[in-house]
Amino acid sequence: MSRLEHLPTLRIDPSLTLPLHYRGKTRYGVSGDTVATALFADGVRIFGRSLKYHRPRGLYSLDGECANTTMAVDGVPNVRTETTPLVSGMRVAVQNVMGFPEFDVMGFMDRLSPFMPAGFYYRILHKPAMIWPLALKSIRKAAGLGKISPDFRTIGTFEERYLHADVCVVGGGAAGMSAALAAAESGLRVILLEARPWLGGCWDYRSGADSDALPLYERSRELAREVADEPRIRVFCRTPMIGAYNDNLVTAVQSGGEDEGFTERYIEIRAQSVVVATGCIERPLLFENNDRPGVMQVGCAHRLARTYGILPGKTAVFSVGHDMGLEAAVDLSELGVEVLCVADAREDGQHPGLVRALTERGIPLLRGWVAARAFGKRHVKKAAVTTVEGTVRREFACDLLVASAGLSPVTGPLTVAGARLAYDVHTGYFLPEALPCGVHAAGRLLGWNDPGAAEASGRLAGVRAAADCGKTVDSDAAEAALAAHPGPESGCKLVTAPVAGKKAFVCFDEDATVKNVRQAIDMGFDVPELIKRFAAVGLGPGQGGIPGHNLPLLAARYRADTAPPRPTTVRSPLVPALIAAYAGAQRDMCKRTPLHRLQERDGGVFRRTGVWKRARYFSDDTECREEILAVRNGVGMLDASTLGKFRIHGPDALNALQRVYVSDMRKVGSDRVKYSAMCNDDGCVIDDGVAVKIGENDYYFTTSTGRAGATVEWIRYHTRFDEWDFHLVNLTDALGVINLAGPDARTVLESITDADVSNEAFPFAGYRTFRVDGWIPVRAMRLGFVGELSFELHAPSSFMPALWDRVAEAGKPHGIRNFGMEAQNVLRMEKGHVILGQESEQRTNLLDLGLGFLWDRSKTDAATVGAVALEQAEDDPDRLTLVGIEMDDPDRPAKDGSVIVDDRIRGYVCTLRRSVTLNRAVGMALVEAPLSAPGTHLEIFEDDCNGQRLKAKVVPMPFYDPEGKRMKG
Amino acid sequence: MTENQRQSPVQFSVPALDAEERDRWPVVLEYADEGEGPDLVDLSHLTRWDLQDRDLQQFRPGGVVVPERPGSCAFGNGVLVNRMNRTQASIWHLNPGEPPGPPSESALTDVTEATVFLALFGPGVFSIGEKLTALDLSRPEPKPPFLIQGPFSRVPCQIVVLERSGETDGGLLFTCSRGYAADMVDSVLSAGREFGLRPAGEKAFLRWLSSVFPETE
Repeated sequence: MSRLEHLPTLRIDPSLTLPLHYRGKTRYGVSGDTVATALFADGVRIFGRSLKYHRPRGLYSLDGECANTTMAVDGVPNVRTETTPLVSGMRVAVQNVMGFPEFDVMGFMDRLSPFMPAGFYYRILHKPAMIWPLALKSIRKAAGLGKISPDFRTIGTFEERYLHADVCVVGGGAAGMSAALAAAESGLRVILLEARPWLGGCWDYRSGADSDALPLYERSRELAREVADEPRIRVFCRTPMIGAYNDNLVTAVQSGGEDEGFTERYIEIRAQSVVVATGCIERPLLFENNDRPGVMQVGCAHRLARTYGILPGKTAVFSVGHDMGLEAAVDLSELGVEVLCVADAREDGQHPGLVRALTERGIPLLRGWVAARAFGKRHVKKAAVTTVEGTVRREFACDLLVASAGLSPVTGPLTVAGARLAYDVHTGYFLPEALPCGVHAAGRLLGWNDPGAAEASGRLAGVRAAADCGKTVDSDAAEAALAAHPGPESGCKLVTAPVAGKKAFVCFDEDATVKNVRQAIDMGFDVPELIKRFAAVGLGPGQGGIPGHNLPLLAARYRADTAPPRPTTVRSPLVPALIAAYAGAQRDMCKRTPLHRLQERDGGVFRRTGVWKRARYFSDDTECREEILAVRNGVGMLDASTLGKFRIHGPDALNALQRVYVSDMRKVGSDRVKYSAMCNDDGCVIDDGVAVKIGENDYYFTTSTGRAGATVEWIRYHTRFDEWDFHLVNLTDALGVINLAGPDARTVLESITDADVSNEAFPFAGYRTFRVDGWIPVRAMRLGFVGELSFELHAPSSFMPALWDRVAEAGKPHGIRNFGMEAQNVLRMEKGHVILGQESEQRTNLLDLGLGFLWDRSKTDAATVGAVALEQAEDDPDRLTLVGIEMDDPDRPAKDGSVIVDDRIRGYVCTLRRSVTLNRAVGMALVEAPLSAPGTHLEIFEDDCNGQRLKAKVVPMPFYDPEGKRMKG
Repeated sequence: MTENQRQSPVQFSVPALDAEERDRWPVVLEYADEGEGPDLVDLSHLTRWDLQDRDLQQFRPGGVVVPERPGSCAFGNGVLVNRMNRTQASIWHLNPGEPPGPPSESALTDVTEATVFLALFGPGVFSIGEKLTALDLSRPEPKPPFLIQGPFSRVPCQIVVLERSGETDGGLLFTCSRGYAADMVDSVLSAGREFGLRPAGEKAFLRWLSSVFPETE
């Protein structure tokens, strides 16, 4: 099809053709086309088949208000092709078609419509009850449009954007642009959202004139230039609003282009004030076969020609209820469409200039007439028009029936912002009764159809929004300017043509007809919200776009309600967006230790541990045999940098430590570390670590990895009423830690420092500071978590890679190996040392774990958190006790977390492994007190035991080096 | 084998054109293919202190008075002092010269090693920020420099807006836990790709700093 190439309103570049693939052929659109306009230009008229009756469907709104033109594009189903920009090479396929779009095998369903009244599957398919399972299967198979694989992954780049503005204007038409300009003139930051790819709204393609005789499209471009020149206004096109939340949080989704680096972008805008100027869509005209390809709305036909350069048909009949319909008829006639007649549902009220223009072109204007039926099996071939009373009828052979009952304000943004709508008799619109604080409406949305009035109402809204932001404005002048223009026009009240309504579709997406609505009402569903659900009106992909306005009017008219009609509820998202857009970039932000890269180099296998990534293994052997044996027989090194590390200083630092630790922290010295634990108010252990005094009123302490993030707040919370003077500094990331462990650890350390690290000079639990190789500052602790001679070397993070390599080099003669978290887990388990979270859970207290020796009951100057609960729990015989257990079968260790049972659950396994060192399967378990005696036989159930309970018995702990000679030697 | 050097948590995948070693810390002065901005500069080698006391007004870090209002900043003698809350301020030494010695007062803690320190400046910087945080970095009030504490790319950060020129141009300094360095840099560079964001060396930072604070030149 040749294009109208020289219209000033075109938004395409006819010189740049773009291929797309459809039904095995390569077709061509042009730059600026949507997928739908490209296909239409190529002669495609049937874009898919309807959900229930498999009726042919074609272009209708050009704004994606219904599912008529949803297609599969590049494998993505349900793409709204009317609004999707054409990209070179797109692969497009029809949906819900068995056969061909022109001949659908399932087309016979249309003839079965008498057997499918409203809610038929609720009522009919249950009798007899036995058919329901079969019916259910068939209905589910038939339901939904498009096909998607369960493992489908959305391809594209998705991200989020968080914007801030003083004023957010929704809608980039004349009113919206005027509002944005007015607000920006007050010096405010303004964000302007527009769903289409360009500003201008319905003026963008219209050649009608404003009060200065300037064509509307020129005026809209003039306004757009003013907006572009205003640096305080940020414009986001292809960005429909999707929701509104408290405190003027507006959400939107922006579609990206080929060159924009993103596919869809979720946007949140926090604004002080919001102006909604979303204009109107058209209210569909209800007549028989109003869904037939070739029937389209006024804006669709007009924009096809003016924006995309495509004539919507050769011979047209118009059936409209507003002046934009007359304007389009005149304009399309000028552009080459033969307009046979214009049926206007209104008896009067037409703009005299438009009536004159029709007369001049010899186009009959039938006042008080309306389309009654479209003829043609696959496309319109003839149209019947009738008087609104149905008394006289005429038929016209045509290929285009432009139909629209009236206008319908796009009030969704106001509704989700919290506005309540009520029926306005003058305009026939559902308009806001009262607007929420900081929300304003403007433009055609309120019925201001006169061009001057639309702009003035926008400026008034912009001025009021500026006032919301604390600006001094002259709103009286803005109000006076608006009052100088004609007020809102009276709207067309026609709801349906005088037809039976068997195939007059209220909702295209769900194939719901006027008759279905009447059936639902006859069955007692008397309010639109109930009818909507029972007759499935507005539940499809287009939501309320097509039926939202007509349904309540139709229901009120049929019920002869004296009360005004009430609209159905609109909810977010106002337009569909990909789930991936909501997910956004979804970066997995995690921490890495200063030794991460070196451990990667050494073959570390990393696992996420809380916020950190830590090396779990250093080989494929998940039993970590070599890593464990290196520590037991030689020397190993572990990256323990994730430990929480803190400085606490100030006159009341000791008081704070006394409060949160169970031990008497006055005993913390400057050359020895003190191991202690923190409990919560229930006496349950939440953390353990060591502390050392590093100066007057100055301490350094460590916490477990998992608690590091909460420690500062924990201590502050538990001292909040004391007005103590102390301060905490989180040094977790400032210092890395290497745990150098094994019988040869001392020899290795001696070789890299001048400090005396002998057992006498640096005994167990000692704390020393020295330098490695004369330049790396180290805080060293003699600890023994893995049950061997161990040195914890704390050094500033930037020094850690050098320290790690230096230790590795010095350990080479001793066969030093890296060991990871799993090896450490086994080593400490053999020694009977607990890991909180592994040997404890929320209910496990200090005493359950056998750590009661840490609790100092003599502290009186600072009540210890958890002490009261510990006192109460001390004599409680019903608590679980941590015990050592050994599996009867050394080659069949139970899984961590498996349950210990007899005729009920009596405990659970905390950690259990086949010990490489001991050649036994041993571990720790929390069991009820009666089962805690050594020698007690236990039965363990786990999900892989196939009903055969595993056998174990309670044994003494620790399993390895019970005297601690290796650790302290 | 690691050289006997300290290591920044940030490793850009761009070759360095010019670098020097300071206190065993290799500092990149210029990267290959630096563009016209916006720029992302690793400043982790610059000294940062934490100051905590009930009476912050008694301290004069670098000769600078600690600002009274949380969220406000003061700059002088190459030192940026950011008031965080009632009892805490962060002190960032922005001069690349000889690092200050260890803090002499017990209220001060050297936290240089605790965080990654980045500068993000140039055209479109606040648009990049909008992709990473819901914090309003480009708000007209107060005038820069000012401190915002909150999530940046979902990670808790201290952010100082140092300059704002136009709606989206300007610059900011920010710190977050050192462990997040790799993901943070990757996240910022990804967000800034559409704006032409590239890694830059310390020279670019100093040029920008002297344009913001001409007295530092």
